[in-house]
Amino acid sequence: MLTVRTLLRSAIRRDRVTLAIWILGTALLALFAASAVGGTYGDEAERTGILRLAVDNPAILLLRGLPHGTSLPAFVFFQIFTWLALLAGLMSSFLAVRHTRAEEESGRAEFIAATPAARTAPTVAALVHGVLADLVLGAAVAAALVAGGMPGPGSVASGCAVAAVGVAFLTVGLLAAQFARTSRGANTLGVGAVCAAFLLRGLGDALGTPEAGGAAMASSWPSWLSPIGWGQHVFAFTDDDLRPLLLCLALAVACSAAVLVLQARRDSGASLLPARVGRAAARPWLRSSFALGWRLHWPTLVAWCAGGAAFGLFAGGLSGVVVQAAETDPDLAANLRTIVPSGGSVTQVLIAAMFALVGVIAAGSATQAVIRLRQEEAHGTAELLLSTRLGRVRWLGGYLALGALSIALVLASGAAASAGAVFAGVLAGTDEPRHAADSLAAAAAQLPAALVYLAVLALLFVLLPGATAALGWALLGAGVFLGVFGGLLGIPQWARDLSPFTHTPVAAGAGTDLGGAGWMVLLAAAAASAALVLMRRRELRG
Amino acid sequence: MDDAHTHDTVVEAAGLEKRFGRATALAGLDLQVRCGEVHGFLGPNGAGKSTTIRVLLGLARASAGSVTVFGRDPWRDAVALHARIASVPGDVSLWPNLSGGEAIDLIGRLRGGARGGGLGGGGPRGGDATGYGARRARLIETFQFDPTKKGRSYSKGNRQKVALIAAFATPADLYILDEPTSGLDPIMEAVFDQEIRRVAGEGATVLLSSHILSEVEQLCDRVSIIRAGRTVETGTLAELRHLTRTEVSFADPGEDGATDARLASITDAHDLRRAGGRIRFTVDSDAVSRLLPALADLEVRGLVVAPPSLEELFLRHYGEGS
Repeated sequence: MLTVRTLLRSAIRRDRVTLAIWILGTALLALFAASAVGGTYGDEAERTGILRLAVDNPAILLLRGLPHGTSLPAFVFFQIFTWLALLAGLMSSFLAVRHTRAEEESGRAEFIAATPAARTAPTVAALVHGVLADLVLGAAVAAALVAGGMPGPGSVASGCAVAAVGVAFLTVGLLAAQFARTSRGANTLGVGAVCAAFLLRGLGDALGTPEAGGAAMASSWPSWLSPIGWGQHVFAFTDDDLRPLLLCLALAVACSAAVLVLQARRDSGASLLPARVGRAAARPWLRSSFALGWRLHWPTLVAWCAGGAAFGLFAGGLSGVVVQAAETDPDLAANLRTIVPSGGSVTQVLIAAMFALVGVIAAGSATQAVIRLRQEEAHGTAELLLSTRLGRVRWLGGYLALGALSIALVLASGAAASAGAVFAGVLAGTDEPRHAADSLAAAAAQLPAALVYLAVLALLFVLLPGATAALGWALLGAGVFLGVFGGLLGIPQWARDLSPFTHTPVAAGAGTDLGGAGWMVLLAAAAASAALVLMRRRELRG
Repeated sequence: MDDAHTHDTVVEAAGLEKRFGRATALAGLDLQVRCGEVHGFLGPNGAGKSTTIRVLLGLARASAGSVTVFGRDPWRDAVALHARIASVPGDVSLWPNLSGGEAIDLIGRLRGGARGGGLGGGGPRGGDATGYGARRARLIETFQFDPTKKGRSYSKGNRQKVALIAAFATPADLYILDEPTSGLDPIMEAVFDQEIRRVAGEGATVLLSSHILSEVEQLCDRVSIIRAGRTVETGTLAELRHLTRTEVSFADPGEDGATDARLASITDAHDLRRAGGRIRFTVDSDAVSRLLPALADLEVRGLVVAPPSLEELFLRHYGEGS
């Protein structure tokens, strides 16, 4: 017990910043949802209208939750709970892997295992650590909901549900760590389980049956296979029924028991799934810096593209719906216009607002491509590459091309998903084909800003290599804050103008202003050229 | 630099300096590696061996002094020179999710298989595909290397093997190897020695850095010893041996047999001392033969004449200034 307490204390100490960010971020999301929804949908009739729309529209159900009454708190729970549960699941699953498989992989676990600590002590410590973190998270969510003006009992029930879902995925993460050989593999399994739970729940809700009045629904059976679905069936603020959470706890107990049995039987560092065997020889195309970048980057690029496609789907799927909603709710249209100032139609504005987020994802994928370049340099693999006939400039050029390709693929995924959703709407008679063209235009419009991120970060990599990763993410975060949410938050125009995203053109027929786009393309070209020229004179720095 | 000189000397560095901010890594280093020789590049950790090698590979630029490889500036002509150079870095890192085999092929292809500086296409799949495949297979076999594991799961020695196999699988005119045997077990070190002898036999030049003398003693024609960024000794092993003293010792016959006065008559002896029933002293290595009559006079028993040890010279240089 003493060793568990020692390990626990060291784990909490190591995690204090990471967990504080997860917990505060999740609580802020809850607070923001509670106060914003109260401000925007204060009117019961309005909420009823939106919920009726949702019941008719599987895309909304998939991305939100299960409507269960038109009261304001019930509406908040419908809007935000599944996302809070998703975050709790991810936080807990990452925590579990971080303190078990990652430790074994790095070899640190052997230090611990060589002490008199019991073989299961690190796992028990991780379990206790995670449960404590989930309890704090639940309390923070409950407090945030109360602070946002929600009733006390329902807020506590919501917090309990978030914590219970977190604990369930904590043990799923611990189990994944028993199976996978690497922390990356275990995290993939854990994240996969969380996402599968979210989708199963979404599917079950989308296939549910509307109840009397059309503002509530009963989910179908797939929701009952998902811990997030169980949490949702607490129906805080209306039923406050905690019984479904027993399923979460039962799953947690079953997984923990399995983990402890497995842990007691296997060697330190071993895994149930064998380490994946790699190729004995490289594929024929692996013969350039670009090909290597692609080989390393494509798995994450798939995730970036999936993100782009999700927002694209949302843009296309909602274009028809929002036109109807905006007719009855002028505030909605006004809110959208703060994100994208434009004289275009409400649909064009909505699609542009959604694609602004696809653009952010594209810029993020390019940022990651440049950061990989720096990782190669810092990790020492660049030395192997640059001792061959690969020159520094071509090395950088390969990754610039990779970044540009990433941007194009993310935007194309968004455009394809959006156009697909529009055509599905056209077939169902709820949308018009011209919105598909709007989607393509909106996707293309994101290209200049994303290219600016790629080229400017490449230049920073040449000039200030040590700061590449920090500057890359900080610039992206600042650009999103000022350019995408600046209008909503009342940031002055001159500050918003600092963000490339502010200058992204918005399709508005003949009146579309392409000036900003032109300047951004020029800026990107200049930065990329400067990076390539200066790279000729740059030493490799570890 | 005249033409003959250029042809003789593959690596030529004079007064080489490299500063990182206020830290000085190289403070006027001289290095000459002649064509076709195996050159040992010795020095304690932190002496500047890896920095020198990074300058020779054009990964870092000299702050002052001159340096050429095959008569060209390694910083300006890095890519063209790399066509003729195979190298192994001091600390091999691999891509965590690339297998060892993929890493070997990638490096081999980027290096190109063609010998002698041809900058055109080619590469392991081009002109020299069969040669590359055969060498790769043989090296994987002799180094007993499993190419299917992912980079993150290799031990230090196995990461080293990836770099070694990649280096030896493509022909090169110059091999620059930075502490290539660190992490290898003695059997693998023997395999490595064999490969060095093979490429040297084919006429290639090898620059081999190490901080352990005995590791390179067997392989090298000439060595340079560096300390604190400067060359302190350079020459053939025979030349260096002249700089060291031979140790002589014999059984102490007691005060009667060898009085202090008689011992003092051994004119070439240095550091004479009596300890543990033996008498020990050192002599300059070229004075050993002059010593023999005096030893015969003493009718010594249990005579041991220890050959000059480079280790001694080496330790003397290492110790200085540390």
